[in-house]
Amino acid sequence: MENGLEKKYIELNMGPQHPSTHGVLRLKLLLDGETVKHVEPVIGYLHRNAEKICELDYYCDSLIYFDRMDYVAAMNMEIGYLEAAEKLLAIEPTERVKWIRVVMAELGRIASHLVWAGAFGLDLGMLTPFFYFFEEREKILNIFTEVSGSRQETNYMSIGGVYQDFNDKIIYKIREFLKQFPKKLEEAYSLFVKNDIFISRTKGIGILEPEVALSYGVTGPMLRASGVPYDVRKDAPYLVYDKLNFDIPISKGKDVLSRFIVRFEEMRQSVKIVQQALDKIPDGPYFNPKAKKSLMIRLRGEGDVYARTESPKGEFGVHLIGDGTVKPYRVHVRSPSFKNLSILPYLSRDVLIADMVAISGSIDLVFGEVDR
Amino acid sequence: MSYEVREEAGKDGRKILRIPKENLLELMKDLKGQGYDHLALITAVDYRDRIELVYHLERSSTNFEILTVKTDVNDSTVDSVTSLWESANWDEREQYDMMGLVFRGHPDLKRILLPEGWVGYPLRKDYDLSKTQYVNMDDEGNDRVSFDPGDGW
Amino acid sequence: MKTGDTGFVTTTLETALEWGRSNSIWPFTFGLACCAIEMMATQASRLDISRFGSEVFRNSPRQSDLMIVSGTVTKKMAPRLKRLYDEMPYPKYVIAMGVCVIQGGPYNQGYSVVMGVDRVVPVDVYVPGCPPTPEALTHGIMLLQEKIRNREEK
Repeated sequence: MENGLEKKYIELNMGPQHPSTHGVLRLKLLLDGETVKHVEPVIGYLHRNAEKICELDYYCDSLIYFDRMDYVAAMNMEIGYLEAAEKLLAIEPTERVKWIRVVMAELGRIASHLVWAGAFGLDLGMLTPFFYFFEEREKILNIFTEVSGSRQETNYMSIGGVYQDFNDKIIYKIREFLKQFPKKLEEAYSLFVKNDIFISRTKGIGILEPEVALSYGVTGPMLRASGVPYDVRKDAPYLVYDKLNFDIPISKGKDVLSRFIVRFEEMRQSVKIVQQALDKIPDGPYFNPKAKKSLMIRLRGEGDVYARTESPKGEFGVHLIGDGTVKPYRVHVRSPSFKNLSILPYLSRDVLIADMVAISGSIDLVFGEVDR
Repeated sequence: MSYEVREEAGKDGRKILRIPKENLLELMKDLKGQGYDHLALITAVDYRDRIELVYHLERSSTNFEILTVKTDVNDSTVDSVTSLWESANWDEREQYDMMGLVFRGHPDLKRILLPEGWVGYPLRKDYDLSKTQYVNMDDEGNDRVSFDPGDGW
Repeated sequence: MKTGDTGFVTTTLETALEWGRSNSIWPFTFGLACCAIEMMATQASRLDISRFGSEVFRNSPRQSDLMIVSGTVTKKMAPRLKRLYDEMPYPKYVIAMGVCVIQGGPYNQGYSVVMGVDRVVPVDVYVPGCPPTPEALTHGIMLLQEKIRNREEK
C-alpha cells in the first residue's frame, strides 16, 4: 500500500501465436507496469510425438523425424542421430563420408545462424537485415538441393554413408558460395553493430553468469557467450573435427550482444572449416558397403549409446537404446533449445517487456526441437 | 560411503554407475561435490517390469567428460535432484509427462508437453495408441481432454 | 472486363471488387513449424511474394484475410487455431501448407497430431510437400487468386 493505492500486478498472456516468440511459445507474464515480475513459459504446442514414432520405425527411417526437429539445421540433426545409430549398429562411415558430413554440418550451421540473425533483427524492429540473411541462406539451400533434392528437410545422410557423392559441380558451387559469403556477412554485420539503437537494446541486457548457465544446462553459443569454452567439436571430437584447425569463439560480455557476436564469429569459423575440409576430402566410397540400401531395414542393434554433437543451438545428445530387433527400443533427445529456454524465467526477472523479447530472441529457439 | 555402486562400461566406452534407488540422491550429492556441475539429460526407459532412469552428467573442469548414472524404479516414485541442478526441473517434468514418474521434492510437478488432463503416459510401452484423445479449450484458455470426437480435435 | 481504345474500362462492381481483393491478400503470420521457415523464404529476397500483392504479413488476425497454416497442427494448438480463425474478418481464406496440415504427414501414426487442419477450419487451397518449396506456396496463392476471381464458375 502506497499513497492509499493498492499495488496490483497485471497478468498478460503472450502467444502461442505471437510474432516475437519464434514459433508457438506461450508466455504467462506477471507485470508491474512495464516491468516483468515473473514469466512462465508454456510449451508443448508443437509436441509431435517424434520419440514415440521412432520406436515404431526402422533405424534408417527414424532419420526423417530428426530432420524435422531442428528444422533450420536439418544436416546437423542427421549427424546427431547417425552418430548414435552408427555406434549402436556398429557401422563405421567411410573416411570420405566423414569429411562430406563436416562440410554439410558447417554449411547447415551457417544457414541456421543466418535465420536466427534475421529473426532476431525482426524482434528488435529491424526489417532490412532479414533480407540480407535470407538471400545468403538461399544460396546454401541451393547447394543442399543440389546434393539431396530437397531444400530444407534434406534427408541427405543415411546409416554408414550419404545419399549422393560430391561431384565437381557441387564442390564448385560451395567454393563459389564461400568466395562471396564473408564480404556479405561483414556487410550485414555492420548493419547491426554500427547501429546505436541495436547496441543500446542489447548491451548489458540478460546477464547470464557461467555458474548459473551450467546449472540450468545451457549450452552452445549461450554458454560460450558467458565465457565457458564448451564446444563438443573440441571437447569430445566426432567425425574429423580433430583434424581441422578452428577456434571456439567465447565472449566475456555475458549479455545479449555478446551472444550475437559469438554467433557471427562462429559463422566465420565455419567458413574456415568448410574451406579446409574441401581441400582435404579424400577419395573413396561414399557409403559403407555393410549398410547397403537393400540391407538397411535388417540392421539390428543392442545396448544403449549416448552420442553428443554440436548443433547450432548447443549440445545435441541422442540416447538410443536397442533390444536386438530392427527397431529402436527407446529414443530420447537432449535438445539444446529445451534447456536453453528453461533459463528464460531466470533472465527475465525485473526487466522491461521489450528487453524480455530481446532475451528470448537471443536464446535461438526452434520449437520443433523444444517440443519434439 | 554408505552405499553400494556397481560400475559398468557402456557400449560406447562411457563409465556407467548403477545405484539402488534409495541411495540415488546421496550419490548425486557426492558427484556434484566431485565437480559434476552440468546435468545433461535425464532419460527414463520402460522395460515393462521396471523403469530405468538414466542420468547423464558432465564435468566442466575436465573437458565435459561424461558419466552415466542408472537406477531402477519399480513403484514410479523417485527422489528429485532439482535441489542440485536447476536443469533437472524441466527434465523431470518431461519424464513425469511422458513416463508417469513421480519425483519426490520437485517444486512444480505438472505436465509440460501434453495438455493437463491427458490420460496415460505416451512413452510407456503399454500406452494404447488406438484410443484417440481430443483436446478442447474453455473460455479461460485451459485445456480440456476427452475421448469424445465431437468435443475438440 | 471490356477494354476499349478510348481509355475507359467497363466492368461490374462485383468483378472490380474481386479483382482488387484477389490482388491484395494480406496473409496472417501463422508460423507453426518447419513450413514457417519456407513461408518466410517466400516473403524474403528471392521469392518476393509482394509481386502478388501479398507482402503485408500482419501479426493480428483482425487485419488479415488469409491464414497460411504452415506446420503441424497439434491437438493442443488446434483450439487456439480455431479461435484465431474466428477472429479474422470475412471474407477469409485458408491455405493448408505441407502434408502435416493436410493429413498428419510423417506424424500421423502418433497420438498428439491433428489429422488434417480441414477438421478444424475450412481449407481453400492445399499445397502439398514436406515442406513445400516457396515456389509451390506462390503457386498456391495464385490458385487462391483465381478462386477469388472466378467465384461464380467454381
